Amino acid sequence: MSADEAATTIVGGLKQAGINLVVTLPDINLAQLLRAVEDDPDILHVPLCREEEGIGICAGAYLVGKKCAAIMQNGGFFNSNNAIVSTLLQYQIPLLLFIYYAGDIGDRTFSTSGSMTEPVLQALGVRYYVMRETSDAPELIKRAQILAEDAKRPVALLLTKEVLGRRAALKSL
Amino acid sequence: MKRFDCLKLIAAEAKDALVVSSAGAMTLEWNVLRPSDGNFRVRTLGLCSSIALGMALGLPQRKIIALDGDGSLLMNLCSLPTIARMQPGNLLHIVFDNEVYEASGSKKTATACGTDLVGVARAAGIKKAMWANTIDGFAQAVSSAMTADDLCFVGAKVTAERTDVPPYPIDEVENKYRFIRYVEKTEQIAIIKTNLPASYA
Ligand SMILES: [Mg+2]
Repeated sequence: MSADEAATTIVGGLKQAGINLVVTLPDINLAQLLRAVEDDPDILHVPLCREEEGIGICAGAYLVGKKCAAIMQNGGFFNSNNAIVSTLLQYQIPLLLFIYYAGDIGDRTFSTSGSMTEPVLQALGVRYYVMRETSDAPELIKRAQILAEDAKRPVALLLTKEVLGRRAALKSL
Repeated sequence: MKRFDCLKLIAAEAKDALVVSSAGAMTLEWNVLRPSDGNFRVRTLGLCSSIALGMALGLPQRKIIALDGDGSLLMNLCSLPTIARMQPGNLLHIVFDNEVYEASGSKKTATACGTDLVGVARAAGIKKAMWANTIDGFAQAVSSAMTADDLCFVGAKVTAERTDVPPYPIDEVENKYRFIRYVEKTEQIAIIKTNLPASYA
């Protein structure tokens, strides 16, 4: 599956889960996904300057009835930690976090970020799922949104190169 | 100017606007002047402007007021270009600049050393950004922003003093629920739905 097809599948999953506002910050591996988000007329796309502000934007939008997702690299997830703790967890606000898993197994760069990603999610008590198969993505996104709303907490979906249709990028490393 | 006097003027104009206020004594003062479930208190320093932006984008027909502070905005300056990029016409962003981290021991902020937050907002792309230098000027700026359909940023230099008011009466989770129920009621929408147990289905 190409990265464009994967992006279409993931955005389809977002819409099935009822997501209608998405905040993003680019990573090269997220390029096709962010373009698909930007091009979708049913999703309000908010491009960020720094990821932590996106947590605030999603929290505010949730409080007035929007269903939100944040798409970022794991570096951006680290940037967002204070807002995740003292806004999302403190007020019990659900949010889907799509975190690009830089430094995943087989990746030659960002291994330090990769090694810290799951431990930090665990320390925050944020439940997370590592996505590998694009065909599973829509179902997983729907279930993650149900969990987030039911628990009133953030839930993270880790985006790997495989699920993003970037296996070729993985092989070339 | 005194922040409390400025807040009184906002309360007189706010009507049913949803109001997001930054952590600190300002929130307590505001809650006394306009007690309402349409008030949301921010806990994460800096996030006031971003939470207000999210509300403004989510409810474009409703006026949203952000009551921000200098220390808070300095921590999240990047919210200004994002707000400018999205241009929410229903957002009024007010910054009370007392040049100190008042809630944290009153150490000087960068605005005490020359940083001009209205200048920063304007350079970020917010065209209607102005300082209100007198209490009358502030009243006028707020009044015209409340009826305007475009994004507005108002800065006010205020003295670093608190007005003695009671503590905030509710915790964060109750604040969330009350706020959401208030929005549901006033906008006639459903935000939090509780599903029936499976045995009822
Ligand atoms: Mg201050």
